[in-house]
Amino acid sequence: MRPKENIEKFVKVRKPNVTTSREMDKRTLDDSFTAMEQTIRAKSAGHKPSTARIITLSRMMKLTAAAAVIIVAISLYITHQGPSEQGGITRVLEVAESPSEIMTMKSLTIAYRRGGIEGIENQCEKALKILGPQPASISLGDLFNGSKS
Amino acid sequence: MVEDNILVWKFNRGSKDALRRIYEKYKDDLLGLAITLLRDRSLAEDVVHDVFVSFAGAVGTFHLSGTLKGYLSTCVANSARDRNRLQSGRDAGPDVVEAAGSHSDGPMERAIGREESGQLQDLLAQLPYEQREVIVLHLHHGMRFREIAKALGISINTVQSRYRYGLDKLRSILNSVVTK
Repeated sequence: MRPKENIEKFVKVRKPNVTTSREMDKRTLDDSFTAMEQTIRAKSAGHKPSTARIITLSRMMKLTAAAAVIIVAISLYITHQGPSEQGGITRVLEVAESPSEIMTMKSLTIAYRRGGIEGIENQCEKALKILGPQPASISLGDLFNGSKS
Repeated sequence: MVEDNILVWKFNRGSKDALRRIYEKYKDDLLGLAITLLRDRSLAEDVVHDVFVSFAGAVGTFHLSGTLKGYLSTCVANSARDRNRLQSGRDAGPDVVEAAGSHSDGPMERAIGREESGQLQDLLAQLPYEQREVIVLHLHHGMRFREIAKALGISINTVQSRYRYGLDKLRSILNSVVTK
């Protein structure tokens, strides 16, 4: 009696070595291409799935959608905050008529938010330009009080 | 495997060339499987044809979870089972033995190949369809018992017992042939 392995080997080595005919190849490929084209045409002609359905179908799409929502939210927040702050600065600078007003804490804080240390430096330079040349011995109090008048 | 994944990716994007390459790659194996299961070349050709047409119709939505060969073999096996139910009782045609043997071999090799393959076909034909199916999918198409069980919708124990009983029966048939 043959062991199991011998039977398995016997079957394995006698795998039918079959080749398809040209007619079969042509018929199968032609019909397959037709079926493929029909599916593609039907898909493009038919209604497209809604965005919500596309998102719910794939986990990757869910993550992408979540990321897109976060990015949009952050962008909106920045856009919303940015102009109001900049608008605020413009407003303060427009309202501020004297160097003492320009150098208030509020105006300097906004300048810092807007441009960091460089923003404060620019603000200071602007105030000094308005003040013009002053004697070196003058105190800060006299400098700003004097400019008010 | 990677090549198959690339082919499937291209196929899903509507590449006819990818579909052609998939067909060229697996057509002979699938036809061999269908012939072994159905014992009728023209029926086997129809099965392979239908499987590929159906596969082509799934363009854009086809999702490959295992191997492409395993998927296509399963489709052929399932389609062949349906045909076998319809054609039950029908004997093997003479074209089965004729089908075996590669056209690329020499005349002598082809003759030996035909004889050996034909011998196996005759032996396998004596097995119940379910046992033949499991043996061929496992030994000729390299599918694991787990894959076969999943593909056929039966338990792995059933697959293993069909395989074991099938081999036992083949062995006893061979022994009886030898003793004659």
